[in-house]
Amino acid sequence: MPEMLDDKKIFSLLEVTTSIQKTLATRYTSSFWVKAEMNKLNYYPHSGHCYPDLVEKVEGKVIAQLKSTLWKDDYNRINQHFIKVVKAPLKEGIKMLFCARITFDPMHGLALRIIEIDPVFSLGELEREKQESIARLRNEGIYDRNKSLPFPLLPKRMAVISVQTSKGYADFLKMIDGNPWGYKFFHMLFPSLLQGDHAVESIRYQLDRIRKVASHFDVVAIVRGGGGEVGLSCFNNYVLSREIALFPLPVITGIGHATNETVAEMVAYRNAITPTELADYLIQKFHNFSAPVQKAEETLVGRAKRLVADERHHLQTSVRYFRSVTDNVLIRSHHEIRQHARDLFKQSNLNLLRQKQTHSSIVYKVRTMALSLCSIRRQELGQIFLMIRKDLAAYMKQESGRMSNMTKSIANMHPENVLKRGYSITRIDGKAITSIDKVMPSDKIETIVADGVIMSEVLTTKKSPGS
Amino acid sequence: MNDNPNYAEAFEELQQIVSEIEEGHISVDELAEKVKRAALLIRICKTKLTSTEEDVNRILKDLDSTESEGN
Repeated sequence: MPEMLDDKKIFSLLEVTTSIQKTLATRYTSSFWVKAEMNKLNYYPHSGHCYPDLVEKVEGKVIAQLKSTLWKDDYNRINQHFIKVVKAPLKEGIKMLFCARITFDPMHGLALRIIEIDPVFSLGELEREKQESIARLRNEGIYDRNKSLPFPLLPKRMAVISVQTSKGYADFLKMIDGNPWGYKFFHMLFPSLLQGDHAVESIRYQLDRIRKVASHFDVVAIVRGGGGEVGLSCFNNYVLSREIALFPLPVITGIGHATNETVAEMVAYRNAITPTELADYLIQKFHNFSAPVQKAEETLVGRAKRLVADERHHLQTSVRYFRSVTDNVLIRSHHEIRQHARDLFKQSNLNLLRQKQTHSSIVYKVRTMALSLCSIRRQELGQIFLMIRKDLAAYMKQESGRMSNMTKSIANMHPENVLKRGYSITRIDGKAITSIDKVMPSDKIETIVADGVIMSEVLTTKKSPGS
Repeated sequence: MNDNPNYAEAFEELQQIVSEIEEGHISVDELAEKVKRAALLIRICKTKLTSTEEDVNRILKDLDSTESEGN
């Protein structure tokens, strides 16, 4: 009860708060639907209760705010429903339509107690938020920015944003590292949260780190998988999507879900949907490079072989042609030579025959002339012979006379006859002495006369006067 | 002629040689030289597919240096 002091009626604080509580309880007897933005969820894991901050904004400016309570059981029920419909847990920063009662607690003051939240409204709000993100990115002209980057011929070096222990990451690595073609990828993990309220911040942090070492990488892969459909709304976040769109390297996503594509996936260079499809996509890029190389190798080998074979064939044909031509020429030449030989032979025979005829006529002439000459000469010789015989007989007769004269003279000259006429021959040692010089006094000499020899000794010699 | 082409260049040059030979622009005289070059390019391409030169430690070092510069 209030105290009276002088003329003043004085209430205790509890009396005031109790009065307010009573007034409000009688004034607000039933629950009602409210549309507001949940600024903060203020979930206390220990108790399981939430104390969401509710606000209403006009052009980003808060024009009303009120605390609220969401008791553990209500929160669990509402969150389950929310996840089922919205594919995301109850989160901060979304507009929601909820059913509440005004409560006033003397200790905690005025609050709205949330009894029910309409997930369909939030779904619409999330969708609207997503559409807004898309519209803003389009207006800024950056929606297609990442898609228009040149994609590396071989996306060998990957910065992977994922959760180390997630199934999606494990699947991705298994395919990338265990590919049966022996393609070698380099990948480096930049660990990040990929769902829930802190995902945006965490991914942005890692994108920022990758940007600093972007020269080491060809692509960025965001790999999630295994987390179901829940908690993907962070990928509709404008700021995150903007960063992906503007990222200097192509960003490829394998976030792993079946329905509605998120804005981040839309603006990424490529959305492969699941981690394994993302791995397939990258391996396919290697195939795209490898296959033409393989084909080039086959084409080259085939063409080169054919070119060589063609040339060889060409050469062989030419050789055959050359041989046939030369053979023909040879045969023709042979033939011609033989023909020439025959002609020559015939001609020579003819000439020979002609020569022979000429020759025999000459022989005949020569013989005739010789014979006639012989006959003339023979007659001449006969006459000469007759003349010689006649001359010879006269000559012989004359000579015979001379001979008998000569014989008479010669007989007169015989030494016997000479000696008889008184001449003698004096000799010394068998040799006739012709000079006084041949003999010395007391030399024995012999003197031959007609009827014998006189032996004498030289007394003196005397030279004939005038000799 | 680039003696150490990257894979894009090697790939492009290889395609060039293939199209030349396909269109019959290569004579037997050039053939040996072209085939030799193509074999080298194919080897380069295949090596690029099955090897990598990147190193995590080097990237981390670069990352550390840029992050400490930022602080």
